[in-house]
Amino acid sequence: MKKLFALLLTLAMVLSLAACGGGKTEAPAASGDKPAATETEKPADSGKTYKVAMICDSSISDGGWGMACYNAMIAAAEKYGWETAYSDSIDQSAYYDNIVSYCDLGYDLIYAPGNQYTDAVLQAAEEYPDIAFALLNGAESTPAKAVNSNVTSLLPNATQIGWIAGALAGLMTETNTIAFIGGMELDTTKGKYEGYKEAAAYVGAQEGKDVKTLDIVYSNSFSASDKGIEFAKAMMDQGADVFFGDASAVDSGARQAIDEANAASGSVKVYDIAQPSDSLGQNECIICSQVTDNSGLVGLSMEAVENGTFGGETIYGTLQNGVLSAGAISDLVPSEIAEKYQGYLDQMTNDTFMK
Amino acid sequence: MEFAMNVILSSVRMATPLIFLALAELYSQRAGLVHIGLEGLAAIGSLSGFLVSLITGSPLLGVAAGAAVGILVNMIYAYATINLCAEQIVYGMAINIFAPALAAFIYRVYFGAGSELVQVGLMNSLASMLGVTPTSFIGKLFLEQTPMVYLAYALVIFTAIYFNKTKSGLNYKAVGEYPKAAATLGINVVGVKYVACVICGALAGMGGAYLTTCYTTTYTDGNVAGRGFIALAAVIFGRWSAGGVLLACLFFGFCDALQIRLQVSSYGVPYQFFQMIPYIATVVVLAVIGMKKAGPKGVGKPYLREER
Repeated sequence: MKKLFALLLTLAMVLSLAACGGGKTEAPAASGDKPAATETEKPADSGKTYKVAMICDSSISDGGWGMACYNAMIAAAEKYGWETAYSDSIDQSAYYDNIVSYCDLGYDLIYAPGNQYTDAVLQAAEEYPDIAFALLNGAESTPAKAVNSNVTSLLPNATQIGWIAGALAGLMTETNTIAFIGGMELDTTKGKYEGYKEAAAYVGAQEGKDVKTLDIVYSNSFSASDKGIEFAKAMMDQGADVFFGDASAVDSGARQAIDEANAASGSVKVYDIAQPSDSLGQNECIICSQVTDNSGLVGLSMEAVENGTFGGETIYGTLQNGVLSAGAISDLVPSEIAEKYQGYLDQMTNDTFMK
Repeated sequence: MEFAMNVILSSVRMATPLIFLALAELYSQRAGLVHIGLEGLAAIGSLSGFLVSLITGSPLLGVAAGAAVGILVNMIYAYATINLCAEQIVYGMAINIFAPALAAFIYRVYFGAGSELVQVGLMNSLASMLGVTPTSFIGKLFLEQTPMVYLAYALVIFTAIYFNKTKSGLNYKAVGEYPKAAATLGINVVGVKYVACVICGALAGMGGAYLTTCYTTTYTDGNVAGRGFIALAAVIFGRWSAGGVLLACLFFGFCDALQIRLQVSSYGVPYQFFQMIPYIATVVVLAVIGMKKAGPKGVGKPYLREER
């Protein structure tokens, strides 16, 4: 009886694990939603249902990076009629295993949203030459390293992302101190920080302010929202009144601390700029969002897979091609500042910013 | 001076979930059950607390739900290790894999994939319950805390008295030291071990629920962030005593708070330097206090009533 019960327990656990592995397959959008073959320029085998799988180390429900990247895949898949699957909250040690699992299942495209997946992607790309790998935020040099030319870097311009947030921070800061919270020490995170810092300093100088950006801090995690709270409290103690970040759920924690500080002071004096999706209204402190249309980049990859032209290139996302933009602006931003901000955004688009 | 005060306030915030989890481990180990599955229990407790707090609007009910679910999940461990005499480490690890996955699954089922960020209201601090706004450091330290913080410290005092000053507590410890001898004295060894699992599950679940009802307004997978393992270390660090465990948790909380504050207030110093602080401090303190075994003698060993 005891042995039987132990076996049942083991079976229940194994089945639960199989069911709760953080991965899920979703059917493609209803056929009525599929674009016509002429719209997507599908080749002869347009009857095939293509499949894309995303792996992610943060949760797809984190209200930040993971959620935005997942939604980008879903939006692109709906547009092109692809089937989707994902594995989220996975450890670094499981990147490769998750990727090859999807390769073995016959997925056409592996979507890895982050520079940190580069090594695992390159290793899998070598072993699975017929499968396409799209590395969001991958380095410019990464596609050339893939021996089978089946890796593409989707690269939103990190400096421009930083500029979009930094220009507004430079305009809005009253203490002349702004802050940035990073998740991991990634090249893209450092690029965003540098862009944020230089744009805030430049715009601040135009307004007669000497804007200082606190040194970048790293939470070493994308899910520890409590660390975001502690970082934000410490940064506000240092006088920071505008925040930007690249740390997923950690940013959510920072916004919670900012909202609490604003509530305690009785007015909203400390602000946050969200990314990468338009998050206005999520927290009171959010005054604007830097928006990255990752779905456009993922869609281009899907199109290339369908056309048989995928691989070996870097697809850039910039203000100029519309992948990067600023989201809706809060009422907390005075209209004259919003106008000036729009002027700076136009300069960035026209390539005349800081020139 | 202000820097030091802020670090202390942060330390209290960061140490509280650790205290719940470390006490859970202490109660478990004192009954001879080494439980490495605290991380899993806290994860499911965290989600239960979040969901119930969201549905009912009461963080207090959220904490109660966290405790109840913690007990429920820990009964798997209890039955397997006490009745079936299974390897405690293996089942602890199984809980660590199973419970967070179950939490992630329930969250997805309830909210859907890629949903908007869901936020809940947190438990009020004592200061806001009393309608006061403390401005001094002492006021903030003693009043600007949620009832859960006071409960954590009260539990430490209770545990210290229970284990050292009561007959029942000494009987409880006897089960962890030498269960067969305890059984000859008429102590219900299996019963005590089950009580230990109930207490452990409840406290670990509450530790997890603290994160989503008193600390952060959101739930994310992995939000326990290794605290279950730190709590395990805190019990060893605290030499299996309630006071020692409290000091160990405060120490870990202090080191983490210090590294965060130092990262923010420094310029040009590599952040890795500050992130090393908790680990270096642990190595130094362990070297100072020594490695003398002080834990229960019967910990980790299955209790086979019929065995000679």
